[in-house]
Amino acid sequence: MRWEEVYFWGLQTSPSTPFRKRVYHKSIRAMLLLTRGPKAWPRLSLLKPPNLPRTLNDGTLCERAQHFSGRGPAKTVRQGQPLGPGLRTRLLITALFGVGLGGAWLAARAEKERQRQQRRTEALRQASVGQGDFSLLDHHGQARCKADFQGQWVLMYFGFTHCPDICPDELEKLVQVVQQLEAQPGLHPVQPIFITVDPARDDTAAMARYVQDFHPRLLGLTGSAEQVAQASRSYRVYYRAGPKDEDQDYIVDHSIAIYLLNPDGLFTDYYSRGRSAEQIADSVRQHMAAFQSVLS
Amino acid sequence: MAAPTMKERQVCWGARDDYWQCLDENAGDSSRCQQLRRSFESSCPQQWIKYFDKRRDYLKFKEKFEAGQVQPSESTANS
Repeated sequence: MRWEEVYFWGLQTSPSTPFRKRVYHKSIRAMLLLTRGPKAWPRLSLLKPPNLPRTLNDGTLCERAQHFSGRGPAKTVRQGQPLGPGLRTRLLITALFGVGLGGAWLAARAEKERQRQQRRTEALRQASVGQGDFSLLDHHGQARCKADFQGQWVLMYFGFTHCPDICPDELEKLVQVVQQLEAQPGLHPVQPIFITVDPARDDTAAMARYVQDFHPRLLGLTGSAEQVAQASRSYRVYYRAGPKDEDQDYIVDHSIAIYLLNPDGLFTDYYSRGRSAEQIADSVRQHMAAFQSVLS
Repeated sequence: MAAPTMKERQVCWGARDDYWQCLDENAGDSSRCQQLRRSFESSCPQQWIKYFDKRRDYLKFKEKFEAGQVQPSESTANS
């Protein structure tokens, strides 16, 4: 008699039933057979002993049990039950569960990334207003601060008019970059700015004389010593006036870089003396293409 | 004292370049470049002359340094 036909108050077991439950059913079955009397006792020999080590595959467990108990491969309940549909079902369920977990993980990661971006945007928004601000006079004598240039790309250079060769070279290069970008249709014009680190000598008149030699839109900015110091600090520019000679002339030692500000007024990139005009123009074009405003 | 204009700068640089070329041709012997030296000195502010002289010294030193330096691979063969 096959085990499937042994009903126990309507309960049925199958190979996918957990081991624990099966043990329970087997022991109940054994008792039931005992109570039925000696005629049913031969059926007891068909039942497997439940005290077997647990394994994943109960089909083979039972087969092994066969050998341990010394019984031959006669008609038994679980002989020949290989990797049955139970295993496939389990694998499928595990796979679905894994996919579900993976999906949840990806969603959580995307959410975290979104929040991080939001925080960064907020920080940039604050920085765009407060950071790198300056309050200077342009070479027409008009007061200018960083907010005046919002909406424009800005290329800035710090120098002084009495500079022997470096400042003219760098300004020349800066102007070439501006001209290359001007030649490209569809790009907004870049605003070139020259800020002096020698406010003692470079007043608005001196700045006006100086910038006219380079580009009609080059804006010269100057101010009091404190204002220039504040602007230089904002952009981490080092400068120091050298010793004066008999003419009261002196050279100002200063760090050399061209700074790029984006239309939000945020510092975006800087270019040292080694970069050529073409390289700088390329870099500016890339920044322009990638730009997304945080103020809108 | 007003800063030199672009034209004045270019005159100064030209004089400097001529003077330096003369020095190069004469292997640093300045006695044969006196004329150019005077022209250089009259074209440029004094501070600039001092600056350019120092720059020339630096460039010459840099050349010597890069040429006469013992190659690192020879001295650190075992590292």
